[in-house]
Amino acid sequence: MSSLQSHTIETPNEKQNRHKAMEAIKVLNTLKEGFKTPPKAMDYFYNLFEDVYCKQKALHDDKVKVGTMCIQIPSEIIYALDGVPIRLCNGFYTDDEIGSDFLPQKACPLVKASVGHLASKNLTDKPDMIYSPTTCDQKTKAGTLIASFGYDVVDVDFPRTKESEISREFFRRSIREFSADLSLKMGKKLSKKKLKASISKIGYAQSLYHRLSDFRKNRTVPILGNDMFLVTNAFFFDKIDNWIDACEKLVDELEQRVKDDIHAGGKISPRIVYTGSPPIFPNYKIPIIIEDSDAIIVADETCSSNRMFNDRVAVDEWFVNDMIDSLADKYLKACTCPIFSKNNDRIRRIIELVKSHNADGVIYQAFAGCTVYELEQRSVLEAMEKAGISILYIESDYSPSQQGQLSTRVEAFVESLKIKNRNK
Amino acid sequence: MKYFTGIDIGSTAIKITIINENKELIGHRISASGSMFYKYAHQTLDDLIKELNISKDDIAYTVATGYGRKLFKEADENISEITANAIGAVAAAKEFGEIKTIINIGGQDSKAISLDDMGNVVNFAMNDRCAAGTGKFLDACAMNLEIGVEELGDRHFNSKGTPLSINSTCAVFAESEIIGLLGNNHSVEDIVCGVHYSIAKRIIKLVKRVGIKEGIYFDGGPALNSGLVNAIENELGKKIFIPAYPQVTTSYGAAILGVDSYYYQNRA
Repeated sequence: MSSLQSHTIETPNEKQNRHKAMEAIKVLNTLKEGFKTPPKAMDYFYNLFEDVYCKQKALHDDKVKVGTMCIQIPSEIIYALDGVPIRLCNGFYTDDEIGSDFLPQKACPLVKASVGHLASKNLTDKPDMIYSPTTCDQKTKAGTLIASFGYDVVDVDFPRTKESEISREFFRRSIREFSADLSLKMGKKLSKKKLKASISKIGYAQSLYHRLSDFRKNRTVPILGNDMFLVTNAFFFDKIDNWIDACEKLVDELEQRVKDDIHAGGKISPRIVYTGSPPIFPNYKIPIIIEDSDAIIVADETCSSNRMFNDRVAVDEWFVNDMIDSLADKYLKACTCPIFSKNNDRIRRIIELVKSHNADGVIYQAFAGCTVYELEQRSVLEAMEKAGISILYIESDYSPSQQGQLSTRVEAFVESLKIKNRNK
Repeated sequence: MKYFTGIDIGSTAIKITIINENKELIGHRISASGSMFYKYAHQTLDDLIKELNISKDDIAYTVATGYGRKLFKEADENISEITANAIGAVAAAKEFGEIKTIINIGGQDSKAISLDDMGNVVNFAMNDRCAAGTGKFLDACAMNLEIGVEELGDRHFNSKGTPLSINSTCAVFAESEIIGLLGNNHSVEDIVCGVHYSIAKRIIKLVKRVGIKEGIYFDGGPALNSGLVNAIENELGKKIFIPAYPQVTTSYGAAILGVDSYYYQNRA
């Protein structure tokens, strides 16, 4: 009494791709269908993410791909040497589960996912080399682990303090070395003209981000925070010229939407500044819960978005060495990562964003296992209390299962903001 | 000729199997449990005896199993469905080879059973808290999609896009997820495929608790759903063995045990 069924079974890579496609399409569908009609110009980004994560489309076949493990590697230098920077920070639960075999259970899901992604060797735009800034403990150790999988990984020394002159000089030396190493690997000299051009191109990309952000200061907010996360996330891996084109179109459309008084949120949606561990596609769990709870994210303070674009490079003299030093300064001094001993800049930035974007409250997410954000929670909460700003602290991870409990907490916070607004 | 009967009274269906003294399958019958287990079990047995054209007196020994086993007082013996499932599976999979892991999806629970080299149960895990990842979950999904349960397999293989995952474990919340997807004009096929993968992932977690050992056997009504089988195989990355009559493995096992018990009790 038996029969054998004959289906072909997926390979491990096919299975991983399907899992990721399923995660990706779920989030994209929610963004497209779960809220008011998004700007037309968002279609570029929806399609980009679907192509890359559901159809495994490679974007940079012919180029040398330079993987970066964190935000502190200057893209300007990579572009000037004709490489393509690809940021390897990962948001997939599928990859998080793969990474769990290599890292402690309580490790940060972002690090686990990034490690899992590289461990699987199943990458569409596989990096030819990886630069790993020694930022937090987990990322630092992850670099070594990833090297053991057979990748060419180079540590880029990064200081844990940023206010001293020693740290400034320290990181300048690191970036000089990084630039020399990459230049050697690419077999090219870093030219003044090209570096100046790439600084100005990234600067233009930053200016587009600022224009998009400015629209969100308006009373009617023309774009959801989740859509903005998608836009900034695309900068991790997209062809920069395409990204710039798409953002220009988005700027035009948002300008019109502001004129037409189109609001992406609800009539009385409280305005939220999001901060903490970075939401990286498709882990938009908390941002989606927030905007699903009738609030709207008007600004963020995260390394996947605002921190990547906020500060521009200030160059004194347009010589290669001076430009490299200025880049090093920008990537160190402007950084508000909680790994630094003192990080008052971050608190200042959050308060600034609350004021400039007329926000009603702050939501602070820390990934369970992301020690530095967990540690800094206390000082940020105290500072917000002092400034009279409502804040909600949430700890969460990449697993899709505990949405019910989380949304109850977020909803209650949003409701308290609504009541506060009513009583003003 | 002596006959032996295994009666498996489950939450959703009553499964009866009759075998001969050589443990060969003579016949089986499945009917809905309905509200009166006891009455329907008798009726089903009578129908099967009539169909096989044998006399009630030829039945030497009856073993009852399943949730409702204790209600069937005429049985000579009753055993748990875990043991019966293991015995039945080992016998049904003889030609396939040795089986070490059994996945069973029933109407209202799902199980993973791990066997040793002798076919004895060494460990098992059960999802007994709610209907997540069970036949009832499939029923509810099919109902929401307004298709028959038997259509699920074909629909699965006709899915062209990315399977749309259902994150809610709860059948009640899953319903609202499905309705949301339908409302946005997603294809029934992609949703069906997503439902299958969601169940498969949950089942794999259960199987991992007892350890995945080569030689995997899948039974219970949902094993008739080729789409779900495909999803479980993909999630496991391994082939699984499906018996010809996946619903009656457990009653078959009970009947086999009946043969052994009978000859043990009546040995010369």
